[in-house]
Amino acid sequence: MTIGRALVPALLAASVLALFAACFLGSTPMPLERVVLALVGAGEPGDGVVIWEIRLPRALAAFATGAALGISGAALQGLLRNPLAEPGVLGVSASASLFATVSIYYGLAALSPWILPLAAILGALAATGVIALAAIRTRSVVTLILIGVGLSSFAGAAMSLLMNLAPNPFTLSDMINWMLGSVANRSFRELGFAAPFLIAGAAILLMSRRGLSVLTLGEEAASGAGLDLRRQRILTVLGAGIATGGSVALAGAIGFVGIVAPHIVRPFVRHDPARSLIPSALLAGLILVLADIGVRLLPTTNELKLGVVAALIGAPAFVWIAMRRRAING
Amino acid sequence: MKRLAILLTGLFVAACGSPKASGPAETGAKPMRIVSLDYCADQYVLKLADREQILAVSPGATGSFSYMREQAKDVPSVRADAESVLVLKPDLIVRSYGGGPNAEAFFERAGVPVLNVGWTSTIDGDGMTSIPGVIQHMADGLGQHERGAALAADFRARLAAVQKRAGGRSALYMASGGVTSGPGSLIHEMLLAAGLKNFEDRPGWNPVPLERLTREQPDLVVPAQFSSRGDFSPDIWSASNHPVAQRLLDPERTIPVEGAWTACGGWFLMDAIEALSAEDAS
Repeated sequence: MTIGRALVPALLAASVLALFAACFLGSTPMPLERVVLALVGAGEPGDGVVIWEIRLPRALAAFATGAALGISGAALQGLLRNPLAEPGVLGVSASASLFATVSIYYGLAALSPWILPLAAILGALAATGVIALAAIRTRSVVTLILIGVGLSSFAGAAMSLLMNLAPNPFTLSDMINWMLGSVANRSFRELGFAAPFLIAGAAILLMSRRGLSVLTLGEEAASGAGLDLRRQRILTVLGAGIATGGSVALAGAIGFVGIVAPHIVRPFVRHDPARSLIPSALLAGLILVLADIGVRLLPTTNELKLGVVAALIGAPAFVWIAMRRRAING
Repeated sequence: MKRLAILLTGLFVAACGSPKASGPAETGAKPMRIVSLDYCADQYVLKLADREQILAVSPGATGSFSYMREQAKDVPSVRADAESVLVLKPDLIVRSYGGGPNAEAFFERAGVPVLNVGWTSTIDGDGMTSIPGVIQHMADGLGQHERGAALAADFRARLAAVQKRAGGRSALYMASGGVTSGPGSLIHEMLLAAGLKNFEDRPGWNPVPLERLTREQPDLVVPAQFSSRGDFSPDIWSASNHPVAQRLLDPERTIPVEGAWTACGGWFLMDAIEALSAEDAS
């Protein structure tokens, strides 16, 4: 219990430290005191621009993306009562990035800066909607995961189709970012356009989190205890869709963080999904900030994409969690 | 965005197959059934060959990044796969990268001579890797020696007429994918030919150096548009779209170049050089 109580403050402190550490990385070497001065707005103007316009927005974008995926993952896992549910696995991120790419590809995104995040959210909601509909029809969680895998493959195929039909070879690089996921070159402008959705999605999930605790008793018992199952499903799906869509608009499709973070957090909150939301968000944000630091430190000729690194860490974790489940449940 | 860099370098490097004299050119006969496999090769074919000589060009020939797109409009196009090409019974295949790395060996096994667009590394000079050298090589291969000599002479005359900018002003090339080009590329040579200094000093293709731009700024910015969207609209998440890079793009010091001028090494690079060297351009 004591660990559980210290969890959120500890994660908060670690996140702040990681965000601070991310401000040290860049092509210009900058000593500690200059970074600190620039952060409080007292340093040289040039340093301020580097920190406030280049390094900090990038780190914050990584954190916001991770947090949105972490909280969506934790909520979906609570709703579906399965530790493998996650926006990436269920195809939510892939559909969101597909819709976003379509909006760029057909020039819609050029009309208004809001169209891109809205398209991503629409894609995310379409996928979460399908999964929620299927969740009403089937009790089998395996079926749900399989539907998600199918959605994910379909979105991937449609994305490949778009790339295949690309009008010229130069637009490919733009599209590929949405599949691989990255927070490079992000500014407060992009953060600003994604933030309302990230906040709204998280708020819906947090408001409806009590129901997730009740759901651990099983759906029948939960209804017996007075939970409006239909409302709970709609709110969780809506919240997770909006938050995931916002994160995709900010960073493209980044998978598996939404599984890993809640999985680590769960034992510390006594497997209560409601209480796992905030720590999961913080931990997932922390993981992505650290992964992005790693991406920048690795001496590869081309900077690795954040989503690639996240998948390299997350996919084995997914397999491991899936195998352990099988061992316990038979 | 680095993809673009790889792609562009690919365009300049992939064409490096050793220039070989083609069959028809050796025998002195003009090739009359020419098929071109990529938009780089298309430029030379459309410029130098007679319309009757051309059987088909690549689908990229009409793209916004193709300099000869107008001339390509009424020419049939073919995809660069072996079967579609061979069924046309070409007597010369022209390519720089089209058809993939094995294409040359494959088509020569099938008995069709292949004319490779040489690799351009310099703007002028006597070598085979200069733009006039490549023009002449292509013209000879297409059976149009005279036309090539005229185009090369025109290119050299225009180059000689370029009034190089004085004062050693620095310029930053900025592709819509968020990359810029340093020493060793044709873009670098293009800036030098216009009398400019390249702001980027790292060789090869690298992301636009955002952090450096907060400390020092180039005198001129040269945005290159490769998409079909017309004006300079960089990739959503590229370094060219970052506020730090966008602030540089005030009309006072911006000289846009068309992607079609720089997408491939050819005589059309002179359009870019002339635009860059014009004193009233910024």
